[in-house]
Amino acid sequence: MRDDGETETGGLERRRRIALDALRGHGAGQADPLSVEALPLGIAHIDSSLPGGGLSLGRPHEIAPESEGDEAAALGFTLALMARHLARVEGEALLVIGKGHPTPYGHGLAGLGLDPGRLLILEVETDADAYRAVEEALRSQGLRAVAGLVDAGLPLKQSRRLHLAGEAARRLLLVLRPPQADSPNMAATRWRIGSGAALRDRFGCIERPCWQARLDRCRNGRTGNWLLEWDHAAHRFGLAGAVAADAPQARSGCAG
Amino acid sequence: MAAIGPGGLRITAVDAAARALGLHPGEPLARARARIGPGIAVHPADPEADATALARLCLWARRYTPMVAPFGPGEGTDGFFLDVEGASHLFGGEEALMADLAARLSANAIPARLALADTPACAFALARHGGSTSPVLVPRGGNAPALRDLCVSALRIEPAIAESLRRLGLRRIGALAEAARPPLARRFGESLLLRLDQALGRRPEPLVSLGEPAAFGASRGFLDPIGHQAIIVATAMRLMQEIAPRLAASGLGARSLRLSLHRVDGIERSLDLGLSEPTLCPTQVGRLLDLRLDRLGAALDAGFGFETVRLDVTGIGRLEARQGALAETGLDREAETGGTARLADALRQRIGARVIRVSPRASHIPERADALEPWRVRRIERRWPERVGPRPQGGMPSRPLVLLSRSEAADEVFSLAPDGPPQRFRWRRRLHRIAHAEGPERIADAWWHAPAPTRDYYVVEDETGRRLWLYREGFHTAQTAARWFVQGLFA
Repeated sequence: MRDDGETETGGLERRRRIALDALRGHGAGQADPLSVEALPLGIAHIDSSLPGGGLSLGRPHEIAPESEGDEAAALGFTLALMARHLARVEGEALLVIGKGHPTPYGHGLAGLGLDPGRLLILEVETDADAYRAVEEALRSQGLRAVAGLVDAGLPLKQSRRLHLAGEAARRLLLVLRPPQADSPNMAATRWRIGSGAALRDRFGCIERPCWQARLDRCRNGRTGNWLLEWDHAAHRFGLAGAVAADAPQARSGCAG
Repeated sequence: MAAIGPGGLRITAVDAAARALGLHPGEPLARARARIGPGIAVHPADPEADATALARLCLWARRYTPMVAPFGPGEGTDGFFLDVEGASHLFGGEEALMADLAARLSANAIPARLALADTPACAFALARHGGSTSPVLVPRGGNAPALRDLCVSALRIEPAIAESLRRLGLRRIGALAEAARPPLARRFGESLLLRLDQALGRRPEPLVSLGEPAAFGASRGFLDPIGHQAIIVATAMRLMQEIAPRLAASGLGARSLRLSLHRVDGIERSLDLGLSEPTLCPTQVGRLLDLRLDRLGAALDAGFGFETVRLDVTGIGRLEARQGALAETGLDREAETGGTARLADALRQRIGARVIRVSPRASHIPERADALEPWRVRRIERRWPERVGPRPQGGMPSRPLVLLSRSEAADEVFSLAPDGPPQRFRWRRRLHRIAHAEGPERIADAWWHAPAPTRDYYVVEDETGRRLWLYREGFHTAQTAARWFVQGLFA
């Protein structure tokens, strides 16, 4: 009797869970922005080395160019991450542009898969203003991703402030800084982005941008080095090396 | 003229001939007909047309003075006050002004009774009850003698009070003015003495001027000057609370506001606040002002304090009707666009930079194909041209992520074919060896502009994988080589 009862409650539990899952899945496409914990890059190999299966939301992530001249690649990677997040949740994104950073070109943004209509841009003079704006944005409603393009790196104190401000709100928080401005801080991850030869289509033309992404530092995770490609139409990252291995002819055909 | 009054149709206005026959306003029409016979011509009264005509006359009278006040309900609806203090000299003195006014009115066949006195009440009494002379001019300080012989009902008091006074034997204003005041106040209340004092100039009588169409603004004066930020913000919120119902009644919201702070020493400071979305919310205005004052800090310089604070709505926007929630759910509009609009406003006040967005423009010239514009809540999104799809099948050529604000010249350009892409070039002191090039995409300037050389654009990728967008301006000639410029960077 007792055994029967237990199995029955167990079955009830299971049925209830299934029903709840079905209800949750009913919303489909757009996930509830507040329940999302991390932004997965969509590559199992990389996501498994990041804590929480992706870039944790609400924590500052630091992105730097590998060397001078790779600024456009680092900016592209930053915006690609924002585009990927905006494709998954509703809302807008804020790009705070500090001194020395260029304002992205609208058609280039659209070409990267980021709808410029959903991107708010704020041009500021100093890093202090940039961080102030980022903090303010983290506290506001409606924004889902915030990126700060700063001039002098992410100092420890500022990273702690961002960490505290971001904790309450699950926002994608990125800080793009110049290559040399290293400083110890509380960033959850630090990426170094270098340019990589673009992925070619079957005619040998440039099809998708590629970046040499080095995960320099990762709290509670593993570091690594990958050649990432970005599919702007599907908002998806891919491992360029894997594709090249599968299609050596396409690779060799493009070199000339 | 006749209209429906108490107990049937009554006469509301009579002309000179009718008055000569003994008809007077207020008489029942049936009695007049019975007395005079069927020969009288009766027209239905049209109070609305009368009011419109009076309003037009008031506007016309502003040629004499900006202070024109139509009669209030206590005075009837058929006249207006002009405050000519300080304006009469423009017409050569008060007598000349009155003569001019009378002449112009009679030239337009408008029967009018004019009186000029120190107080509106005195002028009203003389014009309405002062006999047949017009215009009547009372010399300065001559109120009491001029009013002495007028009936007490000329003071704009209630008929019941006038009747009681008449029974008491106080028929003339002169007698009333000489009577002991406390018993009068006890018996008839404050209003009688107020009217008497206003007529004699002992108490002020403010006129409600016919102003400009309602501009949205409010001001507050302080006996003790204020200087503290919190008090300024609280005052601004109060003022916004005063303005908000007026704006709401017109279906409008404030899009930009100006706060004027008048310092004790006569210096005025003004702060302009701009909003992304029309608003009525005092808290929002207060918060923005607080942020702005934070940024100003000591630059505001309150000195010995501000004695007057004025809030004006300098820009309005149509407010979309929205249903008010019975309970505060906290989820309503905040989660939609309100949060972003508020953030944009707050950043503008705090940082001083406007939140912008990139929007497309219809141009094939790359540097003119997008524009930065202030971020606003927008209902209709503009489409960006789709650049997806393989090129050989007609996809649009790609565009760089960063467009340099001005094209930078590339030096030491070496190319194999005269019209081909470069093999290597130097740009920003770095030598780029080209591994791959795509192009050309030829873009010519618009024909209606001054003729500019065509540009042949190439997307090039150097050996390290950096992708640049560069173009050759014009063509090589026998004498000179065409120059190359870098215009953009790809991600």
